[in-house]
Amino acid sequence: MPSSAATVVSSPRSSERPAARSAMAEPAIVCRGVVKHYYYYEHRTTSLRELFRRRVLRRPLHVRQPRFALSGLDLQVGHGEGVVLLGRNGSGKSTVLRLLAGIYQPTAGEIEVRGRVGTVMELGAGFHPELTGTENVHLYAAMLGLGRREVAARYERILDFAGLGDFISMPVKYYSSGMQARLAFAVAICVDPDILLLDEVLAVGDQGFRERCMERLRRFREAGGTLVAVSHDPEGIEKLCGRAVWLQAGQVRMEGPTAEVAAAYAASAHGEGREGG
Amino acid sequence: MATLETPSALAPRHPFSRRRWSWELLANLVARNLRVKYQRSALGFVWTLLNPLLTVGVLIAVFRYVVKLQVPHYWAFLISGYFVWSFTLQALTAATTVLPEHSHLARSLPLPSETLITATVLSRLAEFLAEMALVLVLLTVFHHQGVPASYLWLPVLVVLQVTLVLGLTLPIATLSAFFHDVQHALPIALMVLFYVSPVFYPASLVPEAARGWYQLNPFAGLLTAYQSALYEGRAPALGLLALTAAEALAIAGVGYAIFRRYRGLLPEIV
Repeated sequence: MPSSAATVVSSPRSSERPAARSAMAEPAIVCRGVVKHYYYYEHRTTSLRELFRRRVLRRPLHVRQPRFALSGLDLQVGHGEGVVLLGRNGSGKSTVLRLLAGIYQPTAGEIEVRGRVGTVMELGAGFHPELTGTENVHLYAAMLGLGRREVAARYERILDFAGLGDFISMPVKYYSSGMQARLAFAVAICVDPDILLLDEVLAVGDQGFRERCMERLRRFREAGGTLVAVSHDPEGIEKLCGRAVWLQAGQVRMEGPTAEVAAAYAASAHGEGREGG
Repeated sequence: MATLETPSALAPRHPFSRRRWSWELLANLVARNLRVKYQRSALGFVWTLLNPLLTVGVLIAVFRYVVKLQVPHYWAFLISGYFVWSFTLQALTAATTVLPEHSHLARSLPLPSETLITATVLSRLAEFLAEMALVLVLLTVFHHQGVPASYLWLPVLVVLQVTLVLGLTLPIATLSAFFHDVQHALPIALMVLFYVSPVFYPASLVPEAARGWYQLNPFAGLLTAYQSALYEGRAPALGLLALTAAEALAIAGVGYAIFRRYRGLLPEIV
């Protein structure tokens, strides 16, 4: 319903930064008091007939409550830093990534992101099953923001990393899910982002491929890339992300060295699991 | 990052600005739409032509032999405007489904919704241009037995048509994300529009008294212009063309404003 949009006040961009400071000296990502709410609808008017009836009867069009996915998040990530977001389902981790990627607009607050962002939210979301691997590489790369020449320059590297052999000229629908994931990850990592946003995507693929991804991510980090990852398995990603941020109900509950935060998070999750059982 | 190839990548950028227009992406999406449609069908474009050709055949039969419209070379008149109509019909219908079809994608990548919407219109336009090539051949060989200079108006008319249809597609796609009604209402609206636009009859048959009102419909102006340029072989009436262009621009402006107001919400709600 259009009128609901009026309540969403998007943050104005902040360009009034001191020009003298170099881009590198500033953090790659700054979130200041970021609020994001989705509405939880008890009733939502989705038809014109209802819109008309509710106007006539002077009933509210929507009965809804804002559900805060994030309530005042402050987060800073420096250039070349690796941060892992921890938290239970619904704690706001994916929302943070979507806001950083520019997929969603914040309800309030400010977000600054400096550098080319690579987003790996869902592997192969842009793939079309009827198109071949090659065609999908070009399409997906364009979706990730690459120009034709940039794709051509990276094409060999992408094939090399995906390691699909002859399958590359077959329609993607004949691929196994692991193969699709390999191709998608290969494209996403070869975009050469400054900042990589990674949403729990390495769970797919076989052991060998996961190790290659980890190896590739390690090189990305060594070369000074910034990584923000979401994970339920902090041990795997600990080597890549020195800092962990534990989100709970849309706020930072704890922040610090990955090992410490992960231990506290594990203890809490364990405790809650026992209470629940 | 060491292998960085674009120095501009370090420029400060707000995330929203990354969800920007991309010709590259547009070209890829159009290519994808066409490939998916034609790649694995042996008859390919014939299927696309079959539906309008059958309709054209039926309309010719009905209005030449049953209703007997006083239009010489009725077939030539009909094909001059019919494909413009079928383009409009298909582009607007596709607008109601394009965003839901890409909802998965819209949530995982910062894709500009306008690129997705424009890509559906442009892939349909590619088909329209192929149809138009066929129409031009038929008219040149069998109707004019030559190439009238009025064909030169065609690019202008195509631009006008795309402006008008895009201007309608953007708000239709936006509103159908909010209201399911749009999907139900659109076929009805299009059916009415078909009868109040000079698709299968010339606008000159509309009573003089009502013609002023009649021509306020931008599709009336557009189709009449196509029929002048292609069927009559004459330059379109400039007054009517100017009115249509003004309407198309106004519709595109309002349509884009509606889209722009809600586009931030689209990835969340579709």
